[in-house]
Parts: sequence; C-alpha cells; structure tokens
Amino acid sequence: MSKKRERPAGRRRIPPTLVVGGTILVLVMAFALAAPLFGNPLHENLTNGLSVTGMPLGPFSKGYVLGTDTLGRSMLSRLAYGARTSLFVAFVSNITSIGVGTIFGLVAGFYRGFAETVVMRFTDIGLALPYVLAALVLATILPSGITRVIIIITALFWAYPARLVYGEVLRLRGRGFVEASVASGASGRSTIRSHLFPHLMPMLVTYSPLNAASAIFFEATLSYLGAGVNPPTASWGNMISDGQSALSIAPHLLYEPGLMLLVTTAAFLLVGEGLKVLNPDLTRLSWLGA
Amino acid sequence: MARRLIVRLFQGALTIFGVAVLTFLLEFIIPGNTAHAIAPRATAATLREITKTLHLNAPLWVQFGDYMKGLLHGNLGESYVQREPVSTLIGQRLPATALLAGAGVLVEVVVGGTLGIAAGLKRWMSRGVNAISLTFLSIPTFVLGLFLLLIFGFDLNIAPVTGGMSFGALILPALTLGLGGVPWYAQLVRDQVAESLSSSYVRTAIAKGLPDRWIIVRHVLRNAFSPALTMVGMDLGIFISGVVVVETVFGWPGLGQLAVQSLDSLDRPVVMGVALVGATGVVVMNIVVDFLRMYVDPRTKLATA
Repeated sequence: MSKKRERPAGRRRIPPTLVVGGTILVLVMAFALAAPLFGNPLHENLTNGLSVTGMPLGPFSKGYVLGTDTLGRSMLSRLAYGARTSLFVAFVSNITSIGVGTIFGLVAGFYRGFAETVVMRFTDIGLALPYVLAALVLATILPSGITRVIIIITALFWAYPARLVYGEVLRLRGRGFVEASVASGASGRSTIRSHLFPHLMPMLVTYSPLNAASAIFFEATLSYLGAGVNPPTASWGNMISDGQSALSIAPHLLYEPGLMLLVTTAAFLLVGEGLKVLNPDLTRLSWLGA
Repeated sequence: MARRLIVRLFQGALTIFGVAVLTFLLEFIIPGNTAHAIAPRATAATLREITKTLHLNAPLWVQFGDYMKGLLHGNLGESYVQREPVSTLIGQRLPATALLAGAGVLVEVVVGGTLGIAAGLKRWMSRGVNAISLTFLSIPTFVLGLFLLLIFGFDLNIAPVTGGMSFGALILPALTLGLGGVPWYAQLVRDQVAESLSSSYVRTAIAKGLPDRWIIVRHVLRNAFSPALTMVGMDLGIFISGVVVVETVFGWPGLGQLAVQSLDSLDRPVVMGVALVGATGVVVMNIVVDFLRMYVDPRTKLATA
C-alpha cells in the first residue's frame, strides 16, 4: 500500500528540517559569540549616531550597517548582545525547567500514592496559571536581571514536562524491564536511573527544542513588558520596547530584533520537527478516494 | 452529570485556593518589610501606622485568615498607588478584557478551523498550513501586534494607533491575539480530519453510498469539533497571557494593561489581584468547556467514572 520506499535500518536520512534549523542555530550562535567584534552595545553616540533631527539612523548608514537606536547605539552590536541574552536564557532555563519537571514527573509516576497526588495537584495549578500574569507577580518581588528571567521561566515551565514525563512513566512502569528491576530488588532510585530515565530521553530530546523556543519567546515578551532583562542590557525584547516610540519613523527598530526572534525561534522549531521525524510516526492513509 | 459537576467544582476550588495561597505567600513573606514596600520613603512613624492599620504584626495564620476572608467577600486588598480597592480597579477593566478575549477566540477558531479542514482534506494544503504554522509560531505576540500596527496603522493609515476602546480599535488586537493561536487549531483540526478520513465509519459511509460532501459535514467535521473545544479550554492559560501582551501593545484598557502598569509602579496588590482573577477565569472557563464538550460529544460522558 505504502508508496514510501523502505530504507535499510540504521541508515536513516537526516531530515532537511533538522539540517536547516541546525545551520541557522549555528549561525545565530556564531553571531552571539562574535558580539565584541561589532563594537560597544552601550556606547551612546549622540553626535554621529543620530540624524540631524535627533532621530535613529536607518540601516546602511555610514558606520552603522544596521542603523542605530533612539540613543544612537549601534543596532548590529545590540542585536549580537541580544542574541547572547536569548541563547543564554534558552540554554540555562531549558536545563532547569526540564530538569525540575522530569524529577517531579518521575517521582509522581514511579512512587505513586501521596507524592503523586501532591505533585500532580501542583502541576495542575502550574498549568492553570496564566503565564504572563504569574510572571508579572514574580517580577514584582525578584530583583531585575537575567537571573530573574531564568527563575521565572523555570517556575512556570516545569509543569508541562512534568506532565509529559508523568504520563510516560505511567506507561513504562508496567513494562517487563521495570517490573524485573523492582523484582530483583533494585532500589527505586536505581530503577529510575538505569531503566526509566533512558527511556524518557527520546521524548525529552524532542521536547527540548520546543521548550527552548518558548523560553526565547517568553524572555522577549517579559523584557518587552519590563518584567525581564532591563536596559541597558540588550535583549531583543527590550530593544523592541525601546524602539516602540520611534516606530513610525524608524521601523528597523522593530524589524531587526523581530526578525532575529523569528529566525531563531523558527530554527528551534525546525530542529524539533526534524527530531520528531527521526522518531518515525504512523503515516495514515485516507479512505476517501481510495 | 451532577456528580461530575461537583467533582470538577471541588477540583477547581482547590486550584484557586492553591493560587490564592501562592499569591498570599508571595505578597506577605518573601519581600520582607511590607510597610516599607508600600511607602519606601516614609518616616518611621508612618511605617508604624501602616503596620498597625494593615495588621502586619499579627501572626501569619491570622493574616492568612484575614486575607482569605477578604477574598471570599470579593476583597482583593487596596492598591498602594491609587488608594482604591483592587476589586474596583479590576471591575472597571474586566469588560474590555472579556470583549477582546472573546473576539480573539473567535478569530483563532474560525481561521484555524478553516485552515485545518482544508489541510486535512487536501494533502497539498497541508504543506501550506505547515509553513503558516511555523511563521505564526515563531513570531511573539507583541512583535506580530507591533508589525500589524505599523502596517495597518501607520503605513496604510486604516486602523487607529492611539489606543482606547472602539470597534475599529478592536480589530487589530483581536487579529493579533487570534493569529497567534491559529497554528494550534489548524494542526489539531487537520490531524482530526485526517484521522476521521482513515476511520472505519468513513469507510462505512462511503460503502453505503453517501456523497463526499455529506460525509465531511456529518462525520468528519463533527468529530473534529470536540477536540477543538477541548483545545479552547487547555489553551486558556496561554491565551490570557496573550491578552496581557496585546493590551499593552495596543493600549487596550483592560486587565493586562492594568497589571503591566502596576508592575511599573510596584503596586503589588493590583498585580496579585489581576493574577488571581486571571487564574480563576481559566479554571472557571475550563469547567464550562468541559460541560459544553459533554453536550457536543456524548462519548466524553463515558470517560467520567
């Protein structure tokens, strides 16, 4: 029935989405690493960095390839430092949020009973919270900066992976290898570590690019709302917020950071999509017109 | 049915209680001296006065009791900055937010559903929907909103750019809010439609000679509706977040704008109050959606037990 050609096992083609997404990510990382080459992101060049009327310079101006912002700072440099912020937040909060979620999901799914009730109730609360509102609440009590963003993202993003892991553990715990491990007297911790956790890895690996994309999104949103990374530290989110007042005169203040956000998030999503393809899914047939 | 309603209401109440405990803890414990937070530059005498009027020296459980009693009476405390009850401030803003949220849901369900049906029926459309999905999934709400504002407001000059509440001012925010949710609905409906098409009941319908159009309307679409409704419920937490952002971008005078403005002035009770109302809204809407779904899709009744 299937028109798809069979491939010999072990010789799976790398999906093009993974290649494209991965390449873009490498380029963004290179851009972030090369940030110091593009000048000082905090230098406010009020004499040459602004137009005669005191407006931001557009792209391709003399000395500023991507133009300047409202304070005459180089957009190129700020975009590069913003990339550092985004990637750093994505990387760290990905580890912390998925880590916390995995631990809770494993404990709830494996030990069941009281732990399960408590953890899953908290997960329900976590999933019911309107993210941005909860983040604003946390932002009122935490000192501003990149740590605040990471704490907020971790506090809000652990619930979803916890739910995922919990479901998966419930499915796995009835399987023979888990029963065998428990029956042979292995401790709960060692069963989790050597039998359950490895089986969670494919799922976690597929989920993490999506989580990273959400984290980048969320960091930008928080910084835009003033609840994340605050100026003068560059973040794509607070750059857009800064530029909002001059939007109609200098639209590049929106397009440039917006495009960076779009490209970076899309790259993470493409990687996630590619990793999903590597986990072969069922291809369904339609009876209509068969 | 009644039993399920009671269970769901109880669970919902528990969740809201949990959120209330969290907001209480955040408001009264972590930040240290509350009186100082209310009036950072006040004299020692004023600080003592504030401490006395707000019972800040009472034992924690007494304060918690007072807080909970207040909540049950609809009292969310008083704004530090505006010297007005938080519930009044929220009441003024609630209709605007409800209007915007309703319009946003309408856009995402209609646009997302249509795209999803098209993609489910025609394989080649699926690629187009994938591309659209990827684009909208990769644009943060505030960037999309500002982008639309720039094009339709400033460049084409056909939408108001000054904020405020009017029908014209509703279109762009609703569109921004809705388009952000379109990928989820499009993908969900597409998968549901594709699944229906490969099901035995569609095969039976074809076998008994039903025209394609009828099969799609009667069997395929009906089966896609219920999961889409579930999605509306599940999506609410994220959706409310979108509302907050969109209100800030477009100057829509709703709860989200209130919360963001209050963050700027560190007006903690207002931020907490809006968050609590938002969480309650999510919980209540989830229960409503749950029962709507039971009405639309009788199969979900069986899953009670």
